[in-house]
Amino acid sequence: MSDVYARFVDLLVTGFGAEAGEVSESTTFMDLELDSLALVELTMAAQQEFGVPIGDDELRAEDTMAHVAKVIEAKLVEV
Amino acid sequence: MAAGEGRFDAAITGLGMVTPAGNGASPTWERLCAAEATCAGPVAALEGGEVAFGARVPDFDPVAAIGRRKAWRLDRHNQLALAAAAEALADSGLDPATWDGARVGVVLGVGLGGAATWETQHRKLLEHGPESISPMLIPMLVCNMSAGHIAMEYGAMGPNLVTATACSSGTTAIGTARDLLRSGACDVVVTGGTEACVVPSIAGGFARMGALSRHSADPAVASRPFDVHRDGFVLAEGSAVLVLERPEDARARGARVRALVSGYGASADAHNPTAPDPEGRGAELAVRAALRDAGVAPQEVAHVNAHGTSTPLNDAAEARLIRRVFPHQPPVTSVKGVLGHTLGAAGAIEAAAAALSLEHSFVPPTANLESQDPEIDLDVVRKEGREGPLSTVVSNSFGFGGQNAVLLLSKA
Repeated sequence: MSDVYARFVDLLVTGFGAEAGEVSESTTFMDLELDSLALVELTMAAQQEFGVPIGDDELRAEDTMAHVAKVIEAKLVEV
Repeated sequence: MAAGEGRFDAAITGLGMVTPAGNGASPTWERLCAAEATCAGPVAALEGGEVAFGARVPDFDPVAAIGRRKAWRLDRHNQLALAAAAEALADSGLDPATWDGARVGVVLGVGLGGAATWETQHRKLLEHGPESISPMLIPMLVCNMSAGHIAMEYGAMGPNLVTATACSSGTTAIGTARDLLRSGACDVVVTGGTEACVVPSIAGGFARMGALSRHSADPAVASRPFDVHRDGFVLAEGSAVLVLERPEDARARGARVRALVSGYGASADAHNPTAPDPEGRGAELAVRAALRDAGVAPQEVAHVNAHGTSTPLNDAAEARLIRRVFPHQPPVTSVKGVLGHTLGAAGAIEAAAAALSLEHSFVPPTANLESQDPEIDLDVVRKEGREGPLSTVVSNSFGFGGQNAVLLLSKA
C-alpha cells in the first residue's frame, strides 16, 4: 500500500473518528459514517496534508480508500 | 394545566452530571459534600487573559464518553451534554431501544453554545480567509444542537428545544420539561443544561464587565458565595441531565424516583441588562410563583439552594429576597463555591444537587465561606454539611436580562 494511502488513513484516524484497525482499501466513507459535511471538512484537511487542490465534491460517500488514494496520487504526479 | 387544577409532580427517575468535580453524579455530590473547590489554578486556554483561571471538567475524554464517531464533530458543550444524558438514561433504567420515541421530549438549557468552536473558526477566517472555515462551524456553534444530538442518539422524536435565559437556562429547561409532562405532550422528557465557555473571549468579556473574581493569588478560594470578601464568580463548565416522568408511569415500571419536581416559577426583573434588581423584587416573583405552583407555603421550605454566584450584587440581592420570603431561616447553600459558575448549565446542576440533598437528607456546605457578609442575614451552611430530613427544597437561578427561574423540588 502506498505512502499516500497510509497518510490518508492516518488523517481519518487522528481527526475523523476512524479506528486504525477498521480501515482497509475497500472501506468507504459511508462505512466510516462520514456524511457530506464531514467530507467537506476531510477535503480541506487532505488538501493541507498533500498540498494539492481537491474540489468540495470530489470525495463521495461511496468512494473506497483505494480509490481516493489513487486520485490523490494522480494529483501529486500532476503537481 | 390551568391554575387551581392542583399540584403536578414530575418524577426524577434518572440523573447524570459532568462537572468540574468529576465525570458523574457521584463524584460531583461527594465533592460538594466535602466543600472542596474545583478551581485549582490557571487554565491553559486562558493564558494571558485578565483573569486566567477557571474550572474545567477534569480528565474528560470525549472519545471514551461519547464514542469516536461523534467526538470529533461535536463542540465540547454538546459532548458534555451527551455524556450527562448517557449517565441519566442509564440511571433511569429506560430502554431507548424500545420506548415510543414520539412521546419522548428533550429540553436543555444553554447560555451561549459553541464558543470554543466559534473562536477557533474565527481565527481561521482572519488568518486564512473564508474558505478555511469548517463546514461544521454552524452545527457546532448553534445553541440548540445539544437537544438535537440527544434526540439523534436515543430516537427521542417528541418536542425538542433549548431554552436560553442566560444563567437561568438550565432551570428554565427543567420547568419547561415539567410542563411538557403536565400538558400530556410527552411521557418522558430528558432535560437539563450544558455549557463549555471557558475560553478567552468569554472570560475576557466577563472580566471586562467586572463579573469575575480577581483572586488569582489563590483561585481555589476565589468563588466564595455570601462571603464579605467575595469579588465575582469563577467561570466554569459542565452539564447535568435529568430524566422526568409522571410519578404513576415511574411507579408502574418499578423505577427508582430520586426526587420530585413539584413547582416552577419564572419572572423578569424589568430592571437592567446585567445588574439584578437590588431588592430582588423580580426574583421574588419567581420564587413565589414556584411556591404557588406547588401549593407549598413558604414556611414549609426546608432548604434553599441559592443562585449564590459570589458576585457582590447577586448575593446581596438574593439574600434580601430569601430573608423576605422565608423568615423562618431555612438553611441556604450555594454549590458555586465548589464548582464555580457553569452559566447555562448551573440551574440544571443545582437542581440535581437539590434532588440529591432530598435523597440523602443532607445540605452540602458553601465552600470558601469564611466571613459571612454581615449584610447577609441568612443561615448559610458552612464548613460542615447539615444532616437531617428534608421535605422541600427551592432552587434559585437568575440570569442576565433579569430572567429569573425557580424550581421547587420535594422528596420522593
